[in-house]
Amino acid sequence: MNLSELKPGQKGRILKLESTIGPIRRRLMDMGVVPGEIIKVEKVAPMGDPIEVTLKGYSLSLRKGEARGVEIEVQP
Amino acid sequence: MNNRKQIVVAVAGNPNAGKSTLINAIAGSRLHVGNWPGVTVEKKEAGFEFEGHYIRLVDLPGCYSLSPYTQEEIITRDYLVQEPPDLIVNVVDATNLERNLYLTVQLMELGIPLVMALNIYDEAESKGLRINASQMAETLGIAVIPTSAVKKSGLDDLLRTVVQVADSPEAHRPKRLNYGEDVENALEGILDHILHSHASLLDRYPVRWLLLKILEEDASVLKAANITSGSLPQQPFDHLRRAHGDDIEGLMADARYAMVAGLCREVLSRPEKRNPELTERIDRIVLNRFLGIPIFMAAMWLLFKLTFDLSAPFGEWIKDMTGGPFKRWTEVVMGTIGAPDWTVSLVNDGVIAGVGSVLVFVPVIFAMMFFITFLEGSGYMARAAFVMDRAMHAIGLHGKSFIPMLLGFGCNVAGIYATRTLENPKDKVLTALLIPLMSCGARLPVYVLFVGIFFPDNSGTVIWVLYILGMALAVLMGFLFKKTLFRGEVPMFIMELPPYRMPSFVSLCLHTWEKGKHFLIKAGTYIFAVSVLVWFLLNLPWGVENKHESYLGRAGSVIAPVFKPLGFGTWEAASSLITGVIAKEIVVGTMGEIYAPKKDDEGEKEQPTLGEDVKEIMVSFSGAGIKAVSSLFYLPIEAEKEEDTTALNEAVKGHFTPLSAFAFMAFVLLYMPCMVVVAAMRQEFGTWRWAGMAALYSTLLAWVVAFLVYQGGMLLGLGG
Repeated sequence: MNLSELKPGQKGRILKLESTIGPIRRRLMDMGVVPGEIIKVEKVAPMGDPIEVTLKGYSLSLRKGEARGVEIEVQP
Repeated sequence: MNNRKQIVVAVAGNPNAGKSTLINAIAGSRLHVGNWPGVTVEKKEAGFEFEGHYIRLVDLPGCYSLSPYTQEEIITRDYLVQEPPDLIVNVVDATNLERNLYLTVQLMELGIPLVMALNIYDEAESKGLRINASQMAETLGIAVIPTSAVKKSGLDDLLRTVVQVADSPEAHRPKRLNYGEDVENALEGILDHILHSHASLLDRYPVRWLLLKILEEDASVLKAANITSGSLPQQPFDHLRRAHGDDIEGLMADARYAMVAGLCREVLSRPEKRNPELTERIDRIVLNRFLGIPIFMAAMWLLFKLTFDLSAPFGEWIKDMTGGPFKRWTEVVMGTIGAPDWTVSLVNDGVIAGVGSVLVFVPVIFAMMFFITFLEGSGYMARAAFVMDRAMHAIGLHGKSFIPMLLGFGCNVAGIYATRTLENPKDKVLTALLIPLMSCGARLPVYVLFVGIFFPDNSGTVIWVLYILGMALAVLMGFLFKKTLFRGEVPMFIMELPPYRMPSFVSLCLHTWEKGKHFLIKAGTYIFAVSVLVWFLLNLPWGVENKHESYLGRAGSVIAPVFKPLGFGTWEAASSLITGVIAKEIVVGTMGEIYAPKKDDEGEKEQPTLGEDVKEIMVSFSGAGIKAVSSLFYLPIEAEKEEDTTALNEAVKGHFTPLSAFAFMAFVLLYMPCMVVVAAMRQEFGTWRWAGMAALYSTLLAWVVAFLVYQGGMLLGLGG
């Protein structure tokens, strides 16, 4: 399952970052999207993309296309 | 003045950590703003005395990491490695400790003495976050000073610490952080190799940083150090890969974040119960599925209104000053010393008008900068991009491209300067290239003149068609540029949504002032030069009676054949298009002068008094042009109303057909943006490349579109 499939309010644990191209992957990591991290989807933009997530106590926005490369498992 | 050596302090930190505010609070008006060489990223510096020491602050661009990917990151790390400062002040957002410390850890790898400004500390405290600063200082081996840039607290402490650390740098090297046995062993292995084969590198680079970059196989470092990855011993890498997988760069990001997480467990305690923060509550409304877009549109309407309406009266005032009293005084002064007519005209219509045409832009640039900086500082800019990204991304742009393009409808120059909110240089350039296709306020008088004559019953519709034509072509050109100039770029929208904060008013004003000053000096120089040049074109040979005989008229005759297939191949039309490069609105003024010249010589002979002379100057050829430049942004229909245009209307009617009039309007919409836009692009991007590109492609596009309109219309039998 990947991050773009989560509904607002759902949380997931990041398993790995795959199928993302180098710079995007590195940028995600620099922003704290690293394996083991708990990430929560807060909102979807009014037009359906991008999404807002929270992790490490701050808010991040990313496009669904970028979120698709983040593999997660749903957390309760 | 001082014999002590200066202390060079580099200030680094995440975006939104309050770095600018901190620097403004410390340095205030002593700040000097420039650009980093070759890029559009701003470089701020300030030098000042503090308790007997001379401190030079260098503000590094805000960045989240020292990866070699974004422009900001590359500038920061190149500076720190190539010109190591005496120490680094790392500005850290205390309310967002974990992500901010990720950069801290990387800065520590450089081995440069580090002082942490634990900023926004007051807000962290009021949120109930407890940070054990002294323990953090001890664990990391650096000084940690709580500060609040907005409240100006802790700043003296910070500077005092800076001086102390600079006095005994060796005692203040940050601790070497241990990234775990596997990583450390691999680093040892690489060190052995470097000592053997590349020992000279150790003088050029901080050792630990070099080893880490080699381990991460950082392409730019390997290249600069002249190391091919094949020549490296494979053993340290293989061992790591076996234990942790192939992605060593990822492993290191992980290791650093693990280090930070461990540190946060030690020094940070969060309150048990948490009330929804203000930011969350605001976002529930502002980013709401149904309210998000209406709120966004209302905000944009307000931004547009404030930027253009607020600055308009000031622009008018400057225009009246330079166009009236200034000229009058020059006339008097130059008259008393008996200066010849042509020098008076040069000073008035060339020099003063040139200065005036720069000054009239100041209010709108200031207003735009102020509100844009406010939107950024408050946190709404990121939300605006979040709301609009879907639509903008669909046409190959970034969510943040919307605001510059919107402002382009008021004034393209304002739009160009607003592109600075885009971080990625490619997004920035692409947006700027498309802004000239947004029909600005200065083009409206041209439409008004022509639709009034040829389409009196559908004037509104025709003008709308032109606006939409511009937008549609922007979409088309956007795609074309993406596929050609910017092929292979990785579009990204990974962006922090920072908490809402009230920006400091002083900081806003300082920033606005710096930008406005830059425009005046840098772009102003070009604009001024062109204005004087145009004076020569318009007025020489001196005393020319027939406009056809002036250099302008001759130039118009030369290029007129180019416009023949577009339906307006006359020297009159061509000449007015040439002057339209100063400002598109001048097209109308020039046409007035050519088609329906006013009999101004009578007044000159009978009434050489000052008050009357001002009027004369205003209707003189270039005087009319200057007036147009001056009223560039304010939907200038009203400004033109006073003039009696019946003679002009009749003449235009005789020279154009409805079809060629429409082709002409399309051409005016699209061809080369005015010189102020070109100068702004030159200044903003530090090269003529994109400014030239914009001028060239838009003119070609204008020709093609006008050609299609006219020839297509002829084929359809609309030529009559």
